[in-house]
Parts: sequence; structure tokens; C-alpha cells
Amino acid sequence: MNIVPNRGAKISVKNGFRGTILEFLRNSLEKGCFDGILIPMRVPADDSYAWVLVRDKPFLDNANPIAPIVSVQGAKALTSLTRKGGGNFNVAAIMKPCDIRASIELSKLKQVNLEKITLISYDCPGTLEMSNYIENPEESEKIFGSLLDGDVWDDKFTKPICQICDNFSFPACDLHFALLGTENGSIYLIPGTEKGENILDDLGIEYSEDLSNWEKKVIELIKKKEKQKAEKFELVKPTVEGFDNLLKTFANCIGCHNCQSACPICYCRQCYFDSEVSKPNSDFILLRTSKRGGISFPLDRIMFHTGRMSHMSLSCVSCGVCTDACPVSIPVADIFSYVADKTQRTFEYKAGNSTEEPLPMREYRFDELLEIKELVKDADGQD
Amino acid sequence: MEREFLPKIVSFLCKWCSYTGADLAGINRLQYPTSILPIKVMCSSRVDPVFVIKAYLRGADGVLIGGCHPGDCHYQDGNYHTRRRVAILKRVFELLGLEEGRIRLSWISASEGPKFARVCNEFTEVIKSLGENTTKTTIFL
Amino acid sequence: MDRLMKVNKSAELAIIDFFRLLLENDRVSGIFTLRKINKDDSVDYCLVTDENRLDEAIPFYPFMPANAGQILSRFSPMNKPVAVVIKPCELRAFIELVKREQGTLDNFLLISYSCAGVFPIIKTGDEPFEKFLPSYWETVKRGGISQGIRQTCKVCEHFLPMNADITISLIGENKLDSECKMFLNTDKAKEFAKDFEGEMLEEDLESPVINSLLTKRKGEKEDLFTELSSKYSGLDGMINIFGRCIGCHGCSRVCPICYCTLCDFESHNYDYSASILEREISQKGALRLPPDTIFFHLGRLIHMSFSCIGCGLCTEVCPANIPVSTLFIKIGEETAKMFDYIPGRNVKEAIPVTVFKEEEFAELGE
Ligand code: SF4
Ligand code: SF4
Ligand code: SF4
Ligand code: SF4
Ligand code: FES
Repeated sequence: MNIVPNRGAKISVKNGFRGTILEFLRNSLEKGCFDGILIPMRVPADDSYAWVLVRDKPFLDNANPIAPIVSVQGAKALTSLTRKGGGNFNVAAIMKPCDIRASIELSKLKQVNLEKITLISYDCPGTLEMSNYIENPEESEKIFGSLLDGDVWDDKFTKPICQICDNFSFPACDLHFALLGTENGSIYLIPGTEKGENILDDLGIEYSEDLSNWEKKVIELIKKKEKQKAEKFELVKPTVEGFDNLLKTFANCIGCHNCQSACPICYCRQCYFDSEVSKPNSDFILLRTSKRGGISFPLDRIMFHTGRMSHMSLSCVSCGVCTDACPVSIPVADIFSYVADKTQRTFEYKAGNSTEEPLPMREYRFDELLEIKELVKDADGQD
Repeated sequence: MEREFLPKIVSFLCKWCSYTGADLAGINRLQYPTSILPIKVMCSSRVDPVFVIKAYLRGADGVLIGGCHPGDCHYQDGNYHTRRRVAILKRVFELLGLEEGRIRLSWISASEGPKFARVCNEFTEVIKSLGENTTKTTIFL
Repeated sequence: MDRLMKVNKSAELAIIDFFRLLLENDRVSGIFTLRKINKDDSVDYCLVTDENRLDEAIPFYPFMPANAGQILSRFSPMNKPVAVVIKPCELRAFIELVKREQGTLDNFLLISYSCAGVFPIIKTGDEPFEKFLPSYWETVKRGGISQGIRQTCKVCEHFLPMNADITISLIGENKLDSECKMFLNTDKAKEFAKDFEGEMLEEDLESPVINSLLTKRKGEKEDLFTELSSKYSGLDGMINIFGRCIGCHGCSRVCPICYCTLCDFESHNYDYSASILEREISQKGALRLPPDTIFFHLGRLIHMSFSCIGCGLCTEVCPANIPVSTLFIKIGEETAKMFDYIPGRNVKEAIPVTVFKEEEFAELGE
């Protein structure tokens, strides 16, 4: 959670959280607050979800604001719309906190233009693994439905990365649906920016000043997630420390680069590690081989992963799509999240936290990092 | 009353033959339907089949590719290559159960104004009988 | 009748011996094969230059972590040749790549074998398929279709190598564990094998076992294709199959035929300004974003299907579990058939879209 908000509009729940959010979106579309709504929709074969930008209200009937899976990262959908600059539509994007965080990172990287976009998020209960969903959509819908309706959000069926996500509430969005801990059949809609406040004013929704119940629940859940995260990182640590462990962890990697191409932050049209520059010539391969007696293909897999870490971990939002995209089920997101936690802490940066905070690689201070050694020690939290 | 369906036919016409043929049809005041949306290309072989797919998926009711007659291509053999590509394209459409009838290749020389008008009329009728392209209303493309 | 050399050792040991000899005599600069370093390590393609590391080689291991043809295309040994063990489909991919000037045949000694299929790629946490191996090799001897191998392999008709210098016969060889038949197909092969000890014989590679396997596989293919076509007919069918595609383009990155460093469908040709998308959204009322899911797959079919060698890697890599290769193989067979083309059959056979015949397709153009 960014800052503690002080007020939110009270909305009574009708047809569950999803129905309530949909109703709000319908109203705002009708009142002309937006020209379009970017929202997940189940694909015609019912075996996955896709982002759809809806302009005509009836299409919203098929939409699902709280989708049980992330097939494509929301920021990717926004990139495809605004990469070449903003358009004329005022678009409301209803997305998970990690989608929003990625969108904010990408706006700093000039791949998303947020000028005409209203970012709307919600307390996220986590999502399911895409491959499980595809295998058994109906069962997965049921599992997710009962998770969402439950009193405590039991995350045992959600993706590992969601189990350790302590950023599930109130990202730097324009409006946020507070779903947790709300009482008497109502939820709060909290404005995060002036843009958000204006929309609430336009719709004439009344404010309530007391958000304490929600805050309490959110903080409780954050504590739980922080604990799970610390435990998880303890498990990840030995799998990535040291070259041999890294090799073992990525032993099954086939070098397909799906993790990179699904990652919202890896926006390069042509990844450096797919480019001609990174393909060594035959003589060099033979030279490298002769030094060791043998060399494995595809070449440079560890170089790819560590290179990607160094290129983008400062902006990794721990969304988990890399793990979902990996055909050999390497827990890429756990690893990247672990590394990102360290690199981002080095610069007291949190990816996607705010549009104001500059990207660490865009600036420097004369008096920083004087003691690199010390710093590495600190970031580790131990010797 | 139902509005009459006026197809949109994206037409890639080679500058040297078919496009000039179209001009001639115009000069001679031959009637051909307004469904034809001409795009001038230097040679029919400039048309990557991917352009045709794109037009089809963006809602074109028909796609016409016009080039010089075999042997007359101003780049010698461009149109023979076009023909192979269109053959593959139509076959793939057919195999996938997509409407290959919405794609047409025609050889129209610079002097064949009447042929241009005839092809346009014929093709428009064919497309009318196929009806509107459903890609126009498909959102999951 | 084909010329072959019979060695009284298991196929695997014989070929490793052969490699050892080649390295010892300095005939090759390296050996390219599958290897497994430790027992619980994964299996990788590997270039070996040190004969001591040949113990790690597992040349006929039924596994394909990447298309070796793709790897070889990025590798052209300059001075001394490299001996490679490569599966028939990978070899065909390599030939297609050579046609596209993405590799050269010089300086490779190409060794392939009658391939009974491979297991799917290993997922972390999956049970290794090791325990299936004994029954796999029993099935190979019988010439059956082994349990657990990839769908793509079950329906592959081209399991006898084309263009190999040396073909090792595995399918239908009862004495696989004690003898190895190396068919020496080219002069190059004979030259390289001249110091290797074995009995020279004449025999046909094709046997009744192989023919019956071919029939079985054809039957499997028929069934698979029929099942698929019931699903994909028309635009709705395409959306049913590819609706869950996440647009990662992994299928094209692992495809040996898709050699472009930057795929057209990733180029800025298909980055749209917001206003173009907005216009489409206004017309339709809604639109999927990012756009162009079906466009990508149709486009790829048009660009390369006639050269698809059916390696199945696109299906393997797809995180959305889409049977990409089944569709590509089916469509590819048909588009290739239009030109009597078989991808990877002959390096001199021109890629269909690079040539033409004056008298063909006369019905088009009217
Ligand atoms: S590295 Fe993985 S978890 Fe991090 S932003 Fe990219 S896809 Fe998401
Ligand atoms: S998606 Fe998985 S297999 Fe592919 S490059 Fe990434 S880690 Fe390797
Ligand atoms: S690998 Fe699968 S999900 Fe990725 S682009 Fe290909 S079909 Fe789509
Ligand atoms: S399309 Fe698929 S099966 Fe065909 S060659 Fe490419 S990766 Fe292999
Ligand atoms: S110039 Fe007209 S078809 Fe080539």
C-alpha cells in the first residue's frame, strides 16, 4: 500500500464484487466518464481470458473485472494501445495491482502513455496458474469463485508468486475498489488521484470517512504475505546463489525466451539476447569449447537470465507471467522477484510505486554506493 | 428498409497495367461499382500475402490483386511469383474453412479498361452473394 | 541395396567408439550430440572436443530440447569438419535453412538414424521419463509406437533420414544392444569410416517392420487430423484454437524455419497508433488487445508452412497448450503438395515461393 487514504465512496454490493464493479463501469460509460473500458473477457472457447477494450456497453455483460488468471499482462495491453502516443479515447483500465505497477514502470520507460488512461484497481486475491485453468476452466472458475467469496482470502490455490505478494492493495491508481473487510454489504471506492476524485464527483457518489475496517484487514493480510515472502526467499536463495546452483536451477531451460517476451517490462522490440550481436561466431564457439572440452547448446542461457536480471530487475513488478509462460515450469518469477527485491532495495526504489519516483538507472548521486562491498552485505541482511 | 450491402473491396493494382487499366475504364466512362478501393503498387509482386490477410481481418469484404498478364510484368517475372503466393494463400484459406472466394487475382493490362470494369462488376456480385465479412464484427481477432 | 558397416557393439557404444576414433585421429574438430553430465542433470545438445567427455554422450536419447538444425545453422566449422548426430526432422530443418543461406553443409559429417520418436520436454517437478526408456527401446526393436512419446512423433512419416552421410538403423533391429548397423550413404561417410573396424555388408535400410510402422503412423495421423479439422473450421474455429494464445511468439522463436532475427509480426509494421485502434473499436464496439492474434498465425502459415518439417517444437513450447504443430503440419503438407515439395528432401530443390512455372495455376488470374 502506498499511502493510507483517508476517505472512500461507499458502494453497496450487488451480484458479488464482480457485478458491483461491472455496474460501476456501466454507469461511468453511460455517463460519458470514459469512451472505453479495458477489461478481461473470457475468450469464446471459454478456456482463457483476454484483454478487451469495450466501447459498447452490452459487451460488458461478458466481461469479468476480476479474472482468475493473468494470460497477458495488463500493461502489455496498454502498451499496444498507447505505445505510439495517447489517443482520443478516455479509457478506464480495470487491472490488478501488478498490472498497474507494470503500467507505471512502462510509462516511465515511455512505452505507455497514461494521459488519457484512468487506472482502476482492486484488492487482489491472487490468481491461478494459466495452464491449470486451460486444462480445467470450469473447475478453476469454481475454485476462484469460492476464494473470492470467502471471508479470508485463502491463497493456497493461487500462484506461488501471488502467495508472496504484499502489493495486492491500493497501488498508485486513480481509483481503487477496497474489497477487503468491508461490512454490511458494501465496498469502498477510493480515489488515489485528482482524476479519480473528479470521476467520483461526476458520478455523484457519496464519501465515507471511515476506512478502518478495510485498513485493518489489508494490514493483516500484508503481514501474512510478508511472512510468506520471507520464507519463500529463504528457499529461493540457495537455488540461485553461486554459479553451479544457478546452472542447476535453469538446467531445463530450453532458451525459448518466452519469459522475456511475456514480461511486460521487457519491452524491447528485439531483445539484446535474441539479436545478432549475441550470437557468437563459429570460431569463437570452437575456441570456447576447446577450453573446456565441451559446450552446451543453446549457448549462454545463464548469460540470458543474469543479463535480463541486470537489465530489468529494477522494474520487475513480480507479476508472475514469466513463470506462466515457461514451457518447462522453471519458477522464473520467484527468482526474479527475489533478485528484484534486492536490487530495488539497493536504491530504495519500488517498481511501479509512483509515477514520480525516477528510474534508478536514470540518475545517480555523487555520494552513493561508495562502499559497494558493504552495500551488498546490507542488501543481503547478513554476512 | 434494409440498406443495400455495398461491399468494400480492397484492390491492389499494379501501376503499369491494372491501375492504368482502371484509369482507362474511368476515361471511357465504363460503369464499375464504387466498392473498389484501389491501392497502387509498383508490381503485383509487391503484395505480400500478409497484406491480403490484414485487409481480410480488418473487415474488407473482398481483396482484389491486379497485375500484368503473365509474360508482361514490367519486372519480368514478378507476377508469376504473385500467382504462386496467391495460390498458396487461397489454398490455406480453403483448408482453414475461411472464405477463399473473397480473394481474387486478375490479369488486366493497361489497355483492358472493359476487362477491369467486368472483373469489378463480377467480383462485386460474388462478394454480394457471400455477404458481409464477419471479421467486421469479430472482436477476438 | 545399401552399403553398411556392422559393428558388434550396441548402437550407442559403437557410435561413441567411432567418435573417439575421429577425435583421436584428428579427423574432426568436434562432435555434436546430446549429452547428460550427471545422472540427475538435464539433457542438452553439446559440442565435444575432448574425447574424455564422450562418456557423457547419449546420441540416441529420445529427447529434443531444441532443433539441432537451428543450432547448426548458426555454426559453420571453418577448418576441420564437425561430426553431428541429428534426428531426421532436425536434418530436414537444417537442409531448409541451408537453402535459405542460413547455414552450410560443408564441413559437417551428418549422422542420423531411424527415429522412433522422442519424449516431451521435461518440466521442472515432472517425473523424468527415464523409467519409460526400457519399454521405449523394446518398442523400437519391434517397430511399434512407444507410449509417452510426443503426439507429433506418433504421426511423423519421415522418420528415415534424408541427406544423412551415415544412417544408423535402430527401428526393427532386434540386436540393438549388441550390434550396430551403420549405413554409409556417401563417399564422405566411406572416407571417414575407413579406419573404423566393422564388417561390410549390403542390405536395405527399409524393411517390412519400417513399412508397417509407416502405415501405423499414417493411420494415427489421419485420426489426429480429422479430430483437428472438426475444431478449426472457419474464423470461429481459428479463434477457438488460438483464442488462448498469449502472443509470446515462442512458437516462432523455436521454429527452425522461422529464422528471421526480427519476425515481421514483431516489427513496427504492426504497431498501431491509438487512433487506428480506436477507429476499429468504434466500428466493432470492442476489440481484443494486443491485437493481431489470428493475423500472426495466419501470416506464419503463409510465410513458412510449406517448409514445416514437423519437428513439433512449437507445440512443446506453447505455454497455452495450443496444438500449434498439428495445424502447421497439416496445412504445411497441403501447401507443399501443391508443388510436389517435401521440405528438407533435397538441398537443390528450390523453396516453392522462390521459383515458378510459366504454365501453372492458369485458372488464377482470370
Ligand atoms: S520478470 Fe517476471 S515477475 Fe518480473 S515483471 Fe517480468 S514477467 Fe513479471
Ligand atoms: S521461458 Fe523458461 S525455458 Fe524459456 S527461456 Fe525462460 S526460463 Fe528458459
Ligand atoms: S507459443 Fe502458443 S501462446 Fe505463444 S504465440 Fe505461439 S501459439 Fe501463442
Ligand atoms: S512450424 Fe512447428 S512443427 Fe513446423 S517446423 Fe516450425 S516448430 Fe517445427
Ligand atoms: S509490373 Fe505489373 S505485375 Fe509486375
